[in-house]
Amino acid sequence: MSTNRWLATGNYFTSYKDEQRIFITHLDRTFFSIFISLLFIWPLLFKLSNKYMLVIDNILIAIVAIIGLNIVTGFAGLISIGHAAFMGVGAYTVASFARTLGDSHVIITHAWPLLILLSGLTGAVFGAIVGLPAMRLKHLYLAMATLSFQMIFTWTINFLEFFNQGQTIAISNVFWFTGKLGRKDHYFFWYYVLLVVVILSGFMVRNLLRTRYGRCLGAVRDNDRAADAMGIHPGLTKVYAFGLAGFFAGIAGALHAYVYRGVGFESFTLHHSITYLAMAIVGGLGTLHGSFWGPIAIMTLELQMESFAEYAGRILPSDWNLATALKPLSFGLVIVLFLMFEPRGIANWWRIARSYTKLWPFRY
Amino acid sequence: MMSYFFQLLVSGIVVGSIYALAALGFVLIYKSSKVLNLAHGQIIAAGAFITYALTGWVGIPIYLSFLLSMVITFFLAMSVEKIFLRRLIGEPIISIIMVTIGLMSILDGIIFLTPFGSVNFSFPQFLPQELISFGGVSISWTQLVGVIITAIMIGGFSWFFKKSTVGISMRAVSDDQFASMSVGISVPRVFGLAWATAGLSAAAAGGIIGNITGLNFETLQAFGITVFPIVILGGLDSILGAVVAGIIMGVIQQFASGYLDGNFGLNGTAEVLPYIILLIILLFKPHGLFGIHEIERV
Amino acid sequence: MKNMKWLVLSVFVATFFIVSCGQKEEAKVEEKKEAAEAMVYKLGMCLAITGPTSDAGDPMSKGAKDYFRYVNDMKLLGEDKLECDIRDDQYKTENTKRNFEDFLDQGIVFYLNYSTDSTQSLKKDIEEEKIPTTPASYHAGNLVDADYIFLPIASYSAQAIGLAEYIVKNHTGGTPKVAMYVHSSAFGRAPVADVKKAVAAGLDMEIVVVVEHGKDLDNTAMLKRLSKKGVQYIICQTTQSPVATMLKDASRLGLVAKTFGEKGKITFTGCHYTGGNDLVALAGPAAENFYWTTSFNITSEPGVWTDAQLAIAKQYGRNEKTAKSHNYSGGIMMAQVATEVILRAKARGKKITREALYDELLAMNGVNAFYPVVTVGPVTYSKTDKAGVDTLQLYAVKNGEFKSVGKPFIPEYTGKIK
Repeated sequence: MSTNRWLATGNYFTSYKDEQRIFITHLDRTFFSIFISLLFIWPLLFKLSNKYMLVIDNILIAIVAIIGLNIVTGFAGLISIGHAAFMGVGAYTVASFARTLGDSHVIITHAWPLLILLSGLTGAVFGAIVGLPAMRLKHLYLAMATLSFQMIFTWTINFLEFFNQGQTIAISNVFWFTGKLGRKDHYFFWYYVLLVVVILSGFMVRNLLRTRYGRCLGAVRDNDRAADAMGIHPGLTKVYAFGLAGFFAGIAGALHAYVYRGVGFESFTLHHSITYLAMAIVGGLGTLHGSFWGPIAIMTLELQMESFAEYAGRILPSDWNLATALKPLSFGLVIVLFLMFEPRGIANWWRIARSYTKLWPFRY
Repeated sequence: MMSYFFQLLVSGIVVGSIYALAALGFVLIYKSSKVLNLAHGQIIAAGAFITYALTGWVGIPIYLSFLLSMVITFFLAMSVEKIFLRRLIGEPIISIIMVTIGLMSILDGIIFLTPFGSVNFSFPQFLPQELISFGGVSISWTQLVGVIITAIMIGGFSWFFKKSTVGISMRAVSDDQFASMSVGISVPRVFGLAWATAGLSAAAAGGIIGNITGLNFETLQAFGITVFPIVILGGLDSILGAVVAGIIMGVIQQFASGYLDGNFGLNGTAEVLPYIILLIILLFKPHGLFGIHEIERV
Repeated sequence: MKNMKWLVLSVFVATFFIVSCGQKEEAKVEEKKEAAEAMVYKLGMCLAITGPTSDAGDPMSKGAKDYFRYVNDMKLLGEDKLECDIRDDQYKTENTKRNFEDFLDQGIVFYLNYSTDSTQSLKKDIEEEKIPTTPASYHAGNLVDADYIFLPIASYSAQAIGLAEYIVKNHTGGTPKVAMYVHSSAFGRAPVADVKKAVAAGLDMEIVVVVEHGKDLDNTAMLKRLSKKGVQYIICQTTQSPVATMLKDASRLGLVAKTFGEKGKITFTGCHYTGGNDLVALAGPAAENFYWTTSFNITSEPGVWTDAQLAIAKQYGRNEKTAKSHNYSGGIMMAQVATEVILRAKARGKKITREALYDELLAMNGVNAFYPVVTVGPVTYSKTDKAGVDTLQLYAVKNGEFKSVGKPFIPEYTGKIK
């Protein structure tokens, strides 16, 4: 333990317990607390328009989902092309309550935290079931299992009358201590809920990684035979990684249902699964804060490209398709260039920036 | 009822062999570089569009433009590999898969730049419109030509991989990159070639599918996903597997829509059945029918 | 490698810079407008210009854009201007919702939407915001529990029932046997339920089988099965591409009826999104004798109405394919309705608000019905009738072009099954 609890100029750990602490120095903790409280305070100080509040809510939902995806793809190294379907499982858990009890039943409007948790558990169950082939499979074959789950999910939702054949199932506004939430406060309220969920999930995963179960994941990813030799059951570990991923996806799905006030299968298609994968990779696989960077980067990029395309549409001849084509084109280009030059994701930039500020004004 | 059964069977085989052709490009890339190419559907669509552009706008006879578009996509795919993927050799597979996702978006963008993104077209009719019938079972000339082209392509590629030096070096690379490098095989060149041949077969598939469905971007690119269960059933890296699995899937789909739909309150089963089969295969025979048994059990 | 990193970074920075500059310019333009003291009425439209179904969404966006430009250029609203933001949602509900919220923040008075799914997921917001909305999806389910959603033309259900009635009227010899070929989603299935209701209410036909299609490359077996079961008519409710594939197979098998209801053959009919020039483009000669119903006048039946459409397209430099698309008409028509209600509210000296426009829409019936030139009948709305043009016209492909068959008609059973 270094003598100065505020600045660590080197590695002074004397025990494993020391090394595993979440905050190495007081400075870290202070910065973190200030940052978190800023996140809570800013919406009170200046009101953002509904559009941007929705965008932020959407980013936070994606962050919850990506935290899950990062467990299975980043930490355990199993590609999942069905993450949106797991989110769908969560969302449709809420929706099935709305279908059987009516969309403004007391369970949906008042007991929503419980319902969100329940959705997470349903997601976990489905995740574990889809992960079952992991007992026998590796690599891309597992990705295929998740893909087929995605397809079967879409078909089932589309087919069953119970799920309104994929059409939107409305979810009513929730109640808070102040009474029923109106449209005006809707996104504002859910921002706080989402923020709390994101912080909780962040800490959950951070703590998970400090435990035996978390280290199992990395061990199985890096070398499953070695892991096996050390007494870790690789198959079970993978199933459990899928379960965890499903849990977070389920929660994200339920939150999606509440924020968008409805559940329709169009929000949980293969295309969304691929986008989530893109977010996880751009953020940086196998890092916790990568799960935050990815959604932020991809969604702001999308937003920027949209306004750019709109701007281009105004100056270019109207009969050209250039402006509309620009959006997918630039989006793809950014992802490709990014991966070509920074395959380790934004998390790597964060690492570089951190070490730079730590060492400044000296270089290595 | 027997002729109905045979009709389903024959239709299934025909559709299946077109699936096989669509799956071929996918297998070729996977075989040499272990990359899942998610932009495959877009390449299929691009191949069909290039064929149409050459015939409809430039005025080249369709036979020629069909061949020409295969040549063009050959070089296009090769340059795609050179520009975007060459740099990523040695990076984790998932980054490369992600690049194909990016490619998907880029190709979408490029196609939306052309009229094909939002306008429908169809190929001029160049084959006889009569049916080929025998004993109550009938197929069209388009389908027959499709099957013949598939057979030629697949025969050609099988020969290429079994006998030619380049083909053997491609197989070597897929087996062990370092070992093949040490015996003097240029790994980047093999990857480029794999993408190029995949582009070529995708263009052929695009031309045939485009002839059957008409040129609608959404329909054509959906075939990129349709091939997934087929390549898994066949074993990801087997050309023969792709053929057999394609035909099996085609037949199963036809029987499903022929016998299941409308009975038992079911409908649209042909869409989902391949994926259910896929899950079952993954549980019991993960390396597919013809895949190399190198799958490690955990 | 290092240099390349900087290159990428600078490209990023440059892009952001350009975008932010663009937004500033936009702000300046708005300032100028306010200085002129004329009113600017904001509208919003969100549809799929790229992504799935863009073959319909793209011409539609152009139609709406051109009509709004025409209104402003011709000064139809005097000094006042319409400003309609047209956004691409790539057929993703999330994008639609974001754009919708953005439009609301900008204070739009009228909203034009696109797909079935997005309309349904926005329904609650539309109701709470009390904003009059016209979607390009004519799904009857859009109207359930909704006061502020107005379909531009008759619903898919009404179209399918219209086709069914036409079949019953023109069929000779017994009860016609009909199959339905539909998209495997609510969009395709809803009309099936309503046609079944019409049959239960006394329409004399038999629905032999309902086929939900997938990405089929071969329909030979299905068609043979249907013809063996004695099916004489197929009502399609899906998009053009699957219909084109089926028609190609059918014409090869020689199953397509040359005249309506020909014995031993199958007559193919379809609702709004199955037909149009896109179908002819996809199916080629196989599209011959396909019967299609819609509420729009089409350019292959020239007349004053289509001249107007072509003139607008010409004025704004659209190519021929766009100008002749019925989706272009669809876009124009949606823009026309929005413009018309603003005009009417203005003429009554009302302030242009959502409320006022909603009232104008509800009053749009009887003498006040609105006749947009691009449709075959008047747009009528009331508290109980939220579908605009109730009149349908049947078209059939003859020599590669859709030609009218008979006079415009209004299906009878839509009222009976309510």
